[in-house]
Amino acid sequence: MTDADIIVVGAGPAGSCAAIAAARSGKRVVLIERGPFPGSKNMYGGVIYPRILDELIPHWFETAPIQRWVVRRSTMVLSDTGALNIDYRSNAWGQAPYNGATAYRPDFDNWLAQQAVAAGADLICSTTVTGLLRDDQGRVCGVSTDRPDGDLTASVVIACDGVNSFLAKQAGLYPTADADNYTLGVKETLSLSKHIIDERFGVRDNQGVDIEILGGTSGVNGGGFIYTNLDTIAVGVVLKLSKLSAQKKRPEDIIAELKRHPAIAPLVEGGQVVEYSAHLIPEAGLEMMPKMVADGLLIAGDAAALCLAAGIWLEGVNFAMASGMYAGQSASAAINANNVSANSLKSYTDRLNKTFVLQDHKKLRKIPHLVLSDRIQHKYPAFVTGVVERMFRVDNPTPKPGVRRIVSQERKKAGIKLSELVRDALTGLKGFG
Amino acid sequence: MTIWPDISFQDRIDTSEFRIHERAHITVNDDSCRGCTTRECVVACPANLFVPTSDGGILFNYENCYECGTCYLVCNKEGAITWTYPEGGFGIVFHRT
Amino acid sequence: MTIAVCIKWVNYSGPVESDTPDERFAGFSFADQAALEWALRIAENSSDEVLVLTAGPVGAEAVLRDALSRGAHRAVRIDIDLTSDSSVIARNLVGAMSQPRMVWCGDYSNDRGSGSVPSFIAADLNIDQALGLVALELPENANASFAAVRRLDGGRREQLLISGSAVLSVEGSTVRLRRASLKNTMSASKQEIQVITATGGRMDTPALRPYRPRPRVTLAPIGLTALERVKHITDTSSSKGHGETVHAEPSAAATLILESLRKWGYLP
Ligand SMILES: Cc1cc2nc3c(=O)[nH]c(=O)nc-3n(C[C@H](O)[C@H](O)[C@H](O)COP(=O)(O)OP(=O)(O)OC[C@H]3O[C@@H](n4cnc5c(N)ncnc54)[C@H](O)[C@@H]3O)c2cc1C
Ligand code: SF4
Ligand code: SF4
Repeated sequence: MTDADIIVVGAGPAGSCAAIAAARSGKRVVLIERGPFPGSKNMYGGVIYPRILDELIPHWFETAPIQRWVVRRSTMVLSDTGALNIDYRSNAWGQAPYNGATAYRPDFDNWLAQQAVAAGADLICSTTVTGLLRDDQGRVCGVSTDRPDGDLTASVVIACDGVNSFLAKQAGLYPTADADNYTLGVKETLSLSKHIIDERFGVRDNQGVDIEILGGTSGVNGGGFIYTNLDTIAVGVVLKLSKLSAQKKRPEDIIAELKRHPAIAPLVEGGQVVEYSAHLIPEAGLEMMPKMVADGLLIAGDAAALCLAAGIWLEGVNFAMASGMYAGQSASAAINANNVSANSLKSYTDRLNKTFVLQDHKKLRKIPHLVLSDRIQHKYPAFVTGVVERMFRVDNPTPKPGVRRIVSQERKKAGIKLSELVRDALTGLKGFG
Repeated sequence: MTIWPDISFQDRIDTSEFRIHERAHITVNDDSCRGCTTRECVVACPANLFVPTSDGGILFNYENCYECGTCYLVCNKEGAITWTYPEGGFGIVFHRT
Repeated sequence: MTIAVCIKWVNYSGPVESDTPDERFAGFSFADQAALEWALRIAENSSDEVLVLTAGPVGAEAVLRDALSRGAHRAVRIDIDLTSDSSVIARNLVGAMSQPRMVWCGDYSNDRGSGSVPSFIAADLNIDQALGLVALELPENANASFAAVRRLDGGRREQLLISGSAVLSVEGSTVRLRRASLKNTMSASKQEIQVITATGGRMDTPALRPYRPRPRVTLAPIGLTALERVKHITDTSSSKGHGETVHAEPSAAATLILESLRKWGYLP
């Protein structure tokens, strides 16, 4: 007999949801995490969209350790001195059934893993999985760990080991790791009093704000973000790895420059850095996704590059939770059917294809590369803010110029060809529309 | 607008908790680095752990590593970086991220 | 017999916002870890049982489970407020030990505790103590006496030979705690931990006051002018008189020294 029915590697959102789903269907589940507690190794921007939890943990919002409910979502386009801000507010998002919430991952992931324990899974922390065990026919049948006597066997292994997923790589499911497909996220957690945060961001009680920023990353392709927690704010940048080294700009200097931008400085002023952190993002979406199924093995969450990083979207936790849950369910079903071959486990990818997990990715397939392209990154912020600046500028006694003329002049000034503008608009429309 | 002084790099790193293990989980092969002109790691490592030495090599310290994976991805010299996770329970521990 | 190990649940680092550590950022110090490792090593060569104890709230059971997973046989938690007096903690720990052959402790805790629990334990058990050990050499035979080196103030060292029952406290650098096997880690989470409710008050200790020498009478400086008076105070060329060389047997010399100190006002 195997030591467990299902081994889940990594107690991030994907792993914990896989463990909850599998344990609920009566399987013996072991959830292995390399950090001293779940969430200790995990960092992100700051907003979780937990609606997918309705299925696994009804009333999750009553116990989940969240900081603030996001009721304002802004997208900022920054040029050197200007900023265009599109701001949406919905106070309805601050009430059940809610939309997004800011939370600290060492809190949230730990809470979610405890739900898996409550469902009957065994959680083992401070244990790094070092490899996959295979039977004589090459099928995955367990894992090895860095503990003495550290092998553990199971019918199915679900690898939820995050962006670097050495397990998916070891299983040969990733072709090659290409730096072009990843971005580096660095962020500062700044302490500010709750009162100041409420005033600066125009919120009260446990209402929060989510700001995504395009431009402002010192010429390195990427983007920025600001999120409000109860008494801290998170300020960070996401940087394309290949460009970072080419531009010879250090990550912390890019954050510092963003913080000095005239549109950002008043928001972050006086905030003391209480924590600095860094983590990778699998940025390229569908373009980089590995095979997610092998005999006795499933891959979910960031390990399968199921992270949506398309400019104004930075979502991964919800995709991780959903894919983890489906993986847990498919693994249980395969064990019940007494067949854990890749073919039998394929119900997992079928589920992903039918739900938002892959539908969103397919829809936005071209967006990540579009948003990170040199043109969007280096020319559009100046173009867009230039247009708006001229529209709102009052040059009396000169009469107001026509919008069409402004657009055409600013486009030329920014060095964008008309054909390029049309092409990008079409890609964008197709992608977002 | 006030421009407050940015904190020193050491102070920045000191805001993170590292439970340091005696084994180095990442090692850098100084010989490979001697021939490297691009030095991607030096710019990209968020913890600034790759330090060029005056004699053309690279000095690497593993203690304050965020375990992000940036270095092995940006380094395009086969075999220059040997990258593993630290022993379970050790390494970076985030608090409010 | 029992080898007892006392470990304390403390914050590893980061802000200490309350007296109760946050389980995620807490554990037991390297010194306590070393104490556990020595106890496990001795027990390996004997039929002794390793009993781990901690005093604290329910969250502290995390460190006991950790110790169990590394090979301790039994675990006891004294249910008590972490801010309790050291002597109360020590007395309760002793109450849960029942005639231990040895008691191992770390010589300091991460939270800058007073470090007095080991001495209180020795006093309550009425056995010897060897505190602040920086090196040890375990014998082949677990019951034989063994050599150890103790840290003294001012960087000095003291060689000890330890035999019989004793309370030992060690520094974290003496040895690194072993890693728990996977199977033990899994079973430790289900092992039983005995919980004992703390009782009793503080131990009687002699009233201690910080040492304060009696004030010494200094005569006002003599001299007509201010300059002369200042010279009188600050002048170093002439001796002010405590220097005296005598030849005497050690015991007589000691008496002389005490007498002089008393005369000069340094002793009551
Ligand atoms: C800067 C940044 C900003 C982001 N912003 C957002 C955002 O605002 N909203 C959002 O929804 N998403 C965001 N994301 C994406 C999101 O963080 C990820 O998509 C999500 O965490 C993926 O979850 P996961 O469970 O797949 O992986 P992870 O959260 O990475 O969890 C993997 C777990 O596996 C463990 N592990 C890894 N290897 C091993 C091993 N060998 N043995 C044992 N354990 C192992 C790790 O310790 C970790 O706990 C952001 C990411 C970054 C980097
Ligand atoms: S680690 Fe790689 S990128 Fe860095 S200096 Fe060495 S060879 Fe070059
Ligand atoms: S893993 Fe990240 S933090 Fe660690 S050395 Fe590499 S780049 Fe630096």
